[in-house]
Amino acid sequence: MCFVHLDAQDSNSDELGVGLRFQKTEQLYWENGVGIDYTSSFLLKKHIHLKMSYFTSGLGSAMFENALLQDNFVVGFDWRFRPQKNLNFFVGLNTGFFNVDLINATFNSLPQNSMLFSAETGFFYKFKFPLATSLSVGYNFINGNGIDRPGTLFPVYYQLSVFYYIK
Amino acid sequence: MKNKSSYLFIFFTLILVSCNNTPNIQDSMLDSGKVSYAIPDSLHKHLVSEYMSNPTPSQLDTPVIIAAHGYTATTFEWDELRDFANSKRLFYVSQVLLGGHGRSYADFKAANWQDWQSSIKDEYIKLSNLGFKNIYLAGSSTGAPLILNLIKTGFFNDYTIPKGIFLVDPIIVSSNKTLTLVGLLGPVLGYTTVELSQGEQGRWYVYRPQETLKQLMELINLTRSNLEKGIKLPTGTYMKVYKSQIDEVADPISAVLIYKGMKTSAGGFIDVEMVKSKLHVFTRLRGREGVTVDDINLQQKTFLDMQARMNP
Repeated sequence: MCFVHLDAQDSNSDELGVGLRFQKTEQLYWENGVGIDYTSSFLLKKHIHLKMSYFTSGLGSAMFENALLQDNFVVGFDWRFRPQKNLNFFVGLNTGFFNVDLINATFNSLPQNSMLFSAETGFFYKFKFPLATSLSVGYNFINGNGIDRPGTLFPVYYQLSVFYYIK
Repeated sequence: MKNKSSYLFIFFTLILVSCNNTPNIQDSMLDSGKVSYAIPDSLHKHLVSEYMSNPTPSQLDTPVIIAAHGYTATTFEWDELRDFANSKRLFYVSQVLLGGHGRSYADFKAANWQDWQSSIKDEYIKLSNLGFKNIYLAGSSTGAPLILNLIKTGFFNDYTIPKGIFLVDPIIVSSNKTLTLVGLLGPVLGYTTVELSQGEQGRWYVYRPQETLKQLMELINLTRSNLEKGIKLPTGTYMKVYKSQIDEVADPISAVLIYKGMKTSAGGFIDVEMVKSKLHVFTRLRGREGVTVDDINLQQKTFLDMQARMNP
């Protein structure tokens, strides 16, 4: 769950939300974690939201099963089309760092790290109380190729975030 | 024509062209059905249960490998192991032709992965019933998840337990990640095409119907999921994975997923060897262009390793 402070009526204030992120990659793992969402009136009247998240299969598919342990550190920004409305449509770009634990020295020859670069689009809904949720689909432009990028970096993912606004 | 109508016309024309389900199949292609591997003569030549249907006690004691090829391939993929076995006279190789493969485009399109697997099961049952005591399996590429599925479902419990399983460049994750979107893109694609070298023509399908790509994705996704839950080998069964470090077909991380998900009956890890190769199914060199001395040495080293594990 991400925690965000909802001041939708006060367009001059900052908004800072923190919360939880749940991600399912198409044909692969659940990877869950935490995220931050920030905007302010100086960010083009809150059209732009800055975000940061960390999510891992360690809090998803690898928690109870033999999925590989992989971590994602992501920063990015969204463009909200209707920043003053409760229901928003958004598009965004993300970048970051990906790492997968390959268990054993036998696999040291394989790539374990990669830069991330993705595009994302979806809906964001602010409740009347200081909670918000977003549902989106994303596409990783960088994904595993059998040569020099980690094989469990897949292209399409679906993401649900829940934010609590603390400011 | 108005602009809006023009765009709609172009859009629907593109969809119709994209959905073309009738590839241009030539007689020389395996897809044509005119160079079938499924004819009785070919099956008799490749299957131990066919050409050794009345085995002697000595033959029943000799190790036999049931070798399963990969997606779109034929028994040709394991010809060199069979030649090796014939020269050493220490084991036999039974080359199964996967269901739907080596026949025609229409047969391929109509088959599901359970059909592909059925010929492995049939040959295993026949060899077990004939009394062969030392049965091994080898799976290359898609042959590997088909065999892993047999272990997971407990197929071997009713027959002679396999002594060992060798997996060469197994595919659990495709290197081309577009395959993960085949459910969405498949109907638009209709089929995909692969370039074959001169020596490969007539031995692999050229056209890959989207229905078969979906079957492949279903099989490897199921196998990955099963590996996450854990798969245990039957008691006394050995397993080794040989995997090219660079592979543009079966992502090398497939070996990691198998290593993490498979366990011996005692709970130990299986053997994995990451080999220095850029070839997919590096044990098959015949028909390839640009084969190096290192490729040949690696192939022979691998065959010798398999032989040593069958004849300790």
